[in-house]
Amino acid sequence: MVSSAEALYIIESCLEDFRIDGRSRSEHRPYAISSRRSSSSSSSAKSSRKNDDDGKYDPVDSVASPLVLSNGSSRIHLPGSSTDVLCSVKADLVRPSPSRPDSGVCELSVDLSLWGGGGTATGPSGGGAARKRRRQREDESEISSLLSRLVLPHAVDYARLVVWPGRYVWRLSIDVVVLRADGCVLDACSIAMRAALIDARLPRVRALIDGGGGDGMGIGGGIGEGGGKGDLLVDGDIGNARPPPGAVGCPLVVTVSVLRAPPPSTYPSLRQYRSVPIVDARAEEEACASSRVCVSVDPDGVVCGVHTLGGGGAALSEDGDMEEDDDDVCVGNTGGGGSLPLAMLGDVVTAAAVASRNLYSLLDGDYWGDGKRGGANCEGVKRNVSVMANDGGGCYGHLLKGHFLIR
Amino acid sequence: NKKTIQGMASSTRRTDILSLIHLRSDGRRPHEIRHMSCHLGALPSTTACGSALPTSACSGSSLVTMGLTQVLCVVKGPCDVGRRSDELPDRAMLEVNMQTAPFAPPGDRRNVNPTTDRRLIEQSHLLQRALSASILLYLYPKCKISITVMVLADDGGRLEASINAATLALIDAGIPLKDMVCACSAGRWNAGGVDEIVVDLNRREIQAATGTGGGGGGGGGGTSDTIYLPVATMPQRGTIVLSQCESRLSGGAEALSLVLDAAMGGCQTVMEIMAAAVRAHGVGLSRAKEGRARVMLNEW
Repeated sequence: MVSSAEALYIIESCLEDFRIDGRSRSEHRPYAISSRRSSSSSSSAKSSRKNDDDGKYDPVDSVASPLVLSNGSSRIHLPGSSTDVLCSVKADLVRPSPSRPDSGVCELSVDLSLWGGGGTATGPSGGGAARKRRRQREDESEISSLLSRLVLPHAVDYARLVVWPGRYVWRLSIDVVVLRADGCVLDACSIAMRAALIDARLPRVRALIDGGGGDGMGIGGGIGEGGGKGDLLVDGDIGNARPPPGAVGCPLVVTVSVLRAPPPSTYPSLRQYRSVPIVDARAEEEACASSRVCVSVDPDGVVCGVHTLGGGGAALSEDGDMEEDDDDVCVGNTGGGGSLPLAMLGDVVTAAAVASRNLYSLLDGDYWGDGKRGGANCEGVKRNVSVMANDGGGCYGHLLKGHFLIR
Repeated sequence: NKKTIQGMASSTRRTDILSLIHLRSDGRRPHEIRHMSCHLGALPSTTACGSALPTSACSGSSLVTMGLTQVLCVVKGPCDVGRRSDELPDRAMLEVNMQTAPFAPPGDRRNVNPTTDRRLIEQSHLLQRALSASILLYLYPKCKISITVMVLADDGGRLEASINAATLALIDAGIPLKDMVCACSAGRWNAGGVDEIVVDLNRREIQAATGTGGGGGGGGGGTSDTIYLPVATMPQRGTIVLSQCESRLSGGAEALSLVLDAAMGGCQTVMEIMAAAVRAHGVGLSRAKEGRARVMLNEW
């Protein structure tokens, strides 16, 4: 819950392009991603990352993904803040749906049961808990439907997920567990999904259909090598496992919140609202937003989907009172519907596109691999900070100070 | 052994070679537990991060990994009970929920509904009983302490890992305990004619011992000589808090006491690892108070 004084402060600071944690309007927070390729660890992991630049997938890492029993997994967390999202990708071979016999399947499920710190899923519960559970399920279904509309259709190359057209296709089951999210749940979930998809390794499976030629995963046929017709040859060598095709093109969702300042009270006749879009809002900023737009952008800068969510949970009415709100609302549309002037929509989408470009470079540029480890490594920290300052993605050095946990 | 040398010519499996030198299927000796790592404060509480939303934070959390089994536990409390009819006048109410993530089983992905799965409900009750023996509940009358356990990866031994994780999460939350509750499993089977007692069984060994999956389904089945016994103890006091045996004991009471001793030895080892983790966490906190802390990313 944000008080009206805090809300005014937040809105004014955003208008000045200096948000409450020091970012500018289009800066993202420095998320840390643990997945097989970019987890921060020893130097051998660093050198293996250098090899990855020429397109070889180096399977031997000294660091394991966070969840070893899944085909791919990732964990997004924001050091020092309370964003923590786990995502796991598991793959198996199923029959394709009869309406689309030559495309793979992706399923998505979102789990919010640890969102409020757990509790009252099965235990003795009162009326409040039942309401909370229902709202949790509503939130879960809302997040998963939004993600499946904005991200899933472009997440992987479905046509190449086919192993045997009409008989066997890959089904990727994506499970997102949101442990905590400090604003921008959709952003964090989409980052986690993308990292997990890129991190996933599917074994090479060749289907033997009458001994036709062909190679590689997913392009039917195979050389008959001792298996009978109708068999599937699974290559057990993990070195030959490949990520799902097209996973690098998985889009990310950028949530742009529009904060609207009420008109100054000295000029009641001037009904002009000053609005400003900000990217990657924290929970307090989201609570003051008048509307939020989720834009899904893929690495080439193509916008894959736009969705408007309502107000952020509390709207400043004219006399400055805050409307009542419940705690633990993550996506919901409480507190007055959000409205967005049409002129702002263009600004919002442009801001999202720019921010997404920064976000992609942030995620792929591997800024977080080295240098943020222990007090002994301060030269590494300085080097890292100067690298970031030189790059166009903005300087994150001043943000890192407040974002660590004490060990 | 003669019988295995003949088998080696055709297709030697790794497990055959391992059993030659008396190692188990994952290369452990019979009295070794799996590699265990504990991490207190996996989800930082409000004091660690400056977030303005205290309601969505937890009091304590921990992440315990035993071999490939990974369990995350979150503790909230002591806080108000929702309904007046639930509150106990002289002690706190302990509420335990156990959930499995859909990606937890090592094979297929399975959506398990925590309200209807009997095994999960049973294990939640066992967890609750095991921990209420150790928490000083009488210090918080009319309050509720809620423990939520989420199994992230299940390779056998999820009840034991959950008990260990819950103990560490309670320590992280600062809730007073009489003693740490440590859990370990032990079993006995027939390996080449010799009864072997093993400690900390993984999923494959549990399946061999009980005839069904260790985590799902009911117990029973298996050959008459195999025993699988998860045990939770308070090692410093030497008392057993929980033990669950669903197999038929053919050797009588001596067999049970042998396996129980092995399990208590395993619990002692587990306690040493957990105590070391708690001390390391405490050292970090006291260094932070003095300003001498090393600052690192909160990686699991």
